[in-house]
Amino acid sequence: MRSAHPRRLVLAVLAVLASQAVAHAQDLTASAPVDVSVTVYRDPFRDEGGFDLDNLNGFALVTETRRVVLTPGQHRLRFEGVADGIEPASAIVTGLPTGVIEKNRDAALLSPSALVDAAQAQQGRVLVSRTTPDGTTTRREGTIRSSADGGVVFETPDGVEALRCSGLAESFAFESSRTGLSAQPTLSVVTRVNRRIEATIQLSYLARGFDWAADYVVSLSPDGKKLDVGGWITLANGNGMGFPNARVQIVAGKLNRENGEIEPIDFGRPILARCWPRGSTSDTPEPVYIERAFPLGFDGGYYLADGVVMPAPMAARAAMESRDEVVVTGSKMAEQEDLGDLKLYRVPDRSTVASRQAKQVRLLDSFAVPVTRIYSVNNYANNTTDFQPMGVILRTQNDRANNLGIPLPSGRVAVFETAGNGATTRRLLAGETNLRDLAVNEKTEIELTGGPAVQARQTLESRERTDPPPPGLKGQTIRTGARFNSVNRVEITNAHPFPIQAEVNVYLNGGDELVRADREAEQEDGHPIFRVTVPANESVEFRYQTVSYN
Amino acid sequence: MRIRTLLAASCALAAIPTAAPTAWAQDKALAITIYADDLALVQDKRPIDVSGGRQRIEFAGVSAQIRPETVSLSSNGVTIVEQNFDFDLLTPAKLMEKAVGSVVTIVRVNPGTGQETREQAEVLATNNGVVLKIGDRIEVLRDDGLPVRVIFDKVPENLRSKPTLSVTVDGDRRGSRPATLSYLTSGLGWRADYVALYDDASSKIDVQGWVTLTNSSGTTYDNAETTLVAGSPLRAGQYGGQQYGRPQRPQLVQAGTETGDRERLGDFYLYPLAERTTIANMQTKQVSFLDVHGVPAKHGYEFRNYWMGTQEEPQSAKTVYKFTTGSAEGLGDQLPAGILRFYMRDKQGDPQFIGESTIDHTPMGSTLSLSTGDAFDVKVKPVVEKRERLSSRRWRTTMKYTLTNASPRAVTVALQQDGLWGDTRIQSETMRSTRPNADMAEWQVNVPANGTAEVTVVFDSSY
Repeated sequence: MRSAHPRRLVLAVLAVLASQAVAHAQDLTASAPVDVSVTVYRDPFRDEGGFDLDNLNGFALVTETRRVVLTPGQHRLRFEGVADGIEPASAIVTGLPTGVIEKNRDAALLSPSALVDAAQAQQGRVLVSRTTPDGTTTRREGTIRSSADGGVVFETPDGVEALRCSGLAESFAFESSRTGLSAQPTLSVVTRVNRRIEATIQLSYLARGFDWAADYVVSLSPDGKKLDVGGWITLANGNGMGFPNARVQIVAGKLNRENGEIEPIDFGRPILARCWPRGSTSDTPEPVYIERAFPLGFDGGYYLADGVVMPAPMAARAAMESRDEVVVTGSKMAEQEDLGDLKLYRVPDRSTVASRQAKQVRLLDSFAVPVTRIYSVNNYANNTTDFQPMGVILRTQNDRANNLGIPLPSGRVAVFETAGNGATTRRLLAGETNLRDLAVNEKTEIELTGGPAVQARQTLESRERTDPPPPGLKGQTIRTGARFNSVNRVEITNAHPFPIQAEVNVYLNGGDELVRADREAEQEDGHPIFRVTVPANESVEFRYQTVSYN
Repeated sequence: MRIRTLLAASCALAAIPTAAPTAWAQDKALAITIYADDLALVQDKRPIDVSGGRQRIEFAGVSAQIRPETVSLSSNGVTIVEQNFDFDLLTPAKLMEKAVGSVVTIVRVNPGTGQETREQAEVLATNNGVVLKIGDRIEVLRDDGLPVRVIFDKVPENLRSKPTLSVTVDGDRRGSRPATLSYLTSGLGWRADYVALYDDASSKIDVQGWVTLTNSSGTTYDNAETTLVAGSPLRAGQYGGQQYGRPQRPQLVQAGTETGDRERLGDFYLYPLAERTTIANMQTKQVSFLDVHGVPAKHGYEFRNYWMGTQEEPQSAKTVYKFTTGSAEGLGDQLPAGILRFYMRDKQGDPQFIGESTIDHTPMGSTLSLSTGDAFDVKVKPVVEKRERLSSRRWRTTMKYTLTNASPRAVTVALQQDGLWGDTRIQSETMRSTRPNADMAEWQVNVPANGTAEVTVVFDSSY
C-alpha cells in the first residue's frame, strides 16, 4: 500500500484538484518509513478483561523514520500512509534542520463524492457516458452543476439533466490530472531550506484503533499447593495500515487520556442518484433505483476485513496457536523495563504489526509458585443468610521467594486444574477471573467461584435491646441511640475428603463493635476476620456477639 | 474556483437585464480571526465592479456555515439595499419542481433498437410522480418503466449547488473599487497542543506548544492572514459556564501575575500567525508558538482518599509533574488552553508517551501541577481501623494508611484525606499534617525504595 503508485490507485479516473496549501510550495513525498516503532497502550477506560476486536479503544505511539532530499526553496513535505486513526494534533516531526512552518492533516480522502465535488467546484469537464439497453454507449462532454443533497445535476450541450433519472445506465468519467487528494491518510509539513539537504526525519504521532491485553494461564499442581503461571500479551491493530518489520513495545499501567475528539477522516459521503418523484398509474413495484455502494464508513469505530476472528475466549486459548488470525511470535519473552511510573515491555525481535491483526507475545513463565487455597465468605453482621458456596482464593505474594517478583499487568486469568489420575488425567478449566495491576511484593489473590462442596451460612440468633425502651408506641419516639445486643451463628460445611482453610470476613456498621466470640477474631483491613480449619467431611460452627446502634 | 461557476451562470442569464448578478472578484485578501470556541471572524477584501445604480453581487466561496445575520459589506459610495442568503439547493427533484408550467425535452429510447424519439413536453405536476402534457396527450413520466431522458434548457436562477450570499447595492458611479465583506462563522476553531519531554535524570522538561486549527466550515480559505484569540468571548445565547467540567484535582496551584509580550485584545491574548496560510476544508493545521528547553519540573505523587473509608485493594497514587509558567525557571509565557502530552525516553533513548492532561488558559507566572496517570509501583491502602461512636453526633475514626513503593528509589507521596466534614479535628497523628482547606488534611510521606510507610491518624468529628 505504502509504495502504490497514485495512477494505479485511481486508474484513469483522476480529478483535477488544485490544492495549493501554500502557494509556491513544492510538493514532495517523503520516503516510505525506513524504521518504524509502535508502542501500544491499552484502553485506559477498559477493565481487566479482554478487548473487542471490532472496537479497539486503546491507542499507539507510532514513530517512523523517513528520508527526504530537500532542494532550496519552500516545500510541502508529505508523509503518506500514516495510520488512519492518527490524532493529527499529536504529530511531532523532528530532524528538519530549519524547523517546521506548519503541519497539516487533510481529512478528505480520494472518494467518489470527493471527485464529484471537485469536478463541480472547479467546473471541470466530465465525460458523461450513457448505455442504452441494446448495448450502445454514447459519450458526451459536460459539467456537473450540483451534487447537493444526494442528487446530481449535470449539463451537456443537449441541456440540463439529472444523473440516472432516465432509466439508462449513466456514469461520469473525470478528467485525468494531478490530484491534491490522497488515497491514504496523509500528514504534511511545510518547511523552507536554503541549501540542498538530505535529511532523516522522525515522525511520531498517537493513533487510535489499537489495544492490548494481558492473559494469564494458571495451572494448579495435582496437590493444589503450587501453580505454574504463563502470560501472553495480545496486541491488536484495527487500523487499515500495517507496520512491517517494526520495533514493538507495549506499555502497562493506567495513564491519563483526555477524551478529546479527533477530527475524523472524511471517506466521502455516498453519492445517491436521487431523482424527482416517480409515481406510476400501476401498483406493480417500481424498478429499483440504482445507488452507488457506500464507501467504507467511518464512525469512530474501525471496520474489520471479513474473516478476522476475535481472539477466542480463554478456555479455548490452548487451541488458539493454530489459528491464522492470531500470530504467535514464538515464546521468546518480552523484556520489561520501567518507563517513568509505567512499565514498558519490548517485543524481543522486530515484528510486523499488520493491519487488522491480533498478535501474541509471551509475557512471562513462572513455575512452582507456592499457593494457599482459602475458602472465603463475606458476611454483614446481624443478618441471616442461606447456605451459600464459599468462594475460593488462591493466595500468594508477588515476590522472588514465591518464584514471582515481577510486575503483573492487569488482565484475565484462566485457572486449570487436573482431574482424574493415571491415564485418565485431564487438565480442565476450573475458573476465570481478572487480575488488577500488581506491583512487586503485593499480595496476589486469584479469586474463583467455589463449588458446592464447601458452604457457609450465618444465622442471627437473637437481637435484644439493652438501653431503656422508648415510652410506648404513641408520642415522639427518639430511635437514634437505641442499643442492641446481637448474636450471630456461623456454620461452615466441608464435603471434601480433606481439611480446608476457611476465612469469614465480618463487616460491621460504623460505630458497631464485635464484643465477644467463640473463637479468636483477627483484624484485617479494618474488619474482624475468623480463620477456621474445617476437618475433612465435617462442619464447624461458632458464634459472635455485637453491640450495634440504631 | 467556484466563481467560474457563477460567471458561467451569470453569462447564461445575461439576457435578463435586472437579474444579472455581479460575481465577486478573485484577487482577494482574506483575514481570519479565530476564537477558541467554534467562532471565527472572516474579513474578505476584494475589489467590486460597481455598475452605477442598483445591482446584485453574489459572494461565492464564503463559509458554508456563515451566520448570514452578521454579514456586513462596506465600500466607498455603495449603499446596501438588501442582503439575501439563498439556500434552495439544486437537486433533480427541485429542478423538476421548478419546471412546472414550462416545456422540457423528453427523449424516449427504444430498448430494442436504441432508437431515440424526441418530443417537447409541458410539465403539469410533480406530486408523487411527474405528469407531462405532450401535444394533446397527458402522460405520467416513465409510467411504463421504459427509459426516458428529460432535458431541461437551463437551471432556474435561484437554485444553487451551495447556499449563496448575495447583496443588492446601490452604487453612486461606475467603476471598480475595494470592498470588505465581513461575517462570523462557525466551523473554525483552535486549541493548543503541547509536547513535554521529561528528562528523568535532570528533572527538566522541554516544552513545545502548537496551535491546532481545525476547519469543518465546508470552505477553504486561501492564503489568509490568520490571528488566533485565546479566550472565549461570550456570545448571545451562551451562558458563562466557565467552571463547568473542571477536573476535580486543582491543576492551577498558583495563578500567575506576570505579563507576557504578546499582543492583547481586551483580556485576551492574540496569536497572529507569522505567515499567510491556506486553511483547507477538513484540514487540521498546526503552527508552532512555543519552544522552551530545560525548564525545571518536579516529579511527585499524590493520593487522595475522598472520604474516611477503607479501600480493600491498594490504590495507585497519581503521578504528578509540577512546573511554572514564569519567566524565571519556567516556560516564560502564558498558555492557551489545550492538551499537554508528556513523553519520556525509554532505555533505548526513544521518546515514549506517558500520559496527558488538559490545561486551562493559564497566565504567565503560574504554577501548574498536572497528573499523567497512575503510578504502577506506588500504592496507598487506606483502612478504617476503628470507628467509635462517642455520641449520635460525634465519632472517632482511626485511619491507617499503608504506602508501598515497589520502585528502586525513594519517593514522596502527598497523601490527602478529603471528606473531613463538620467539625473534624485531628486528635493524634504519627506525622505532622497540613490542612489545605477545612475538608482536607495532607501529609508528605517519604516511602523508601522497595519499602513501606505507614501513617496512622485519629480523627474526632462532630456533625
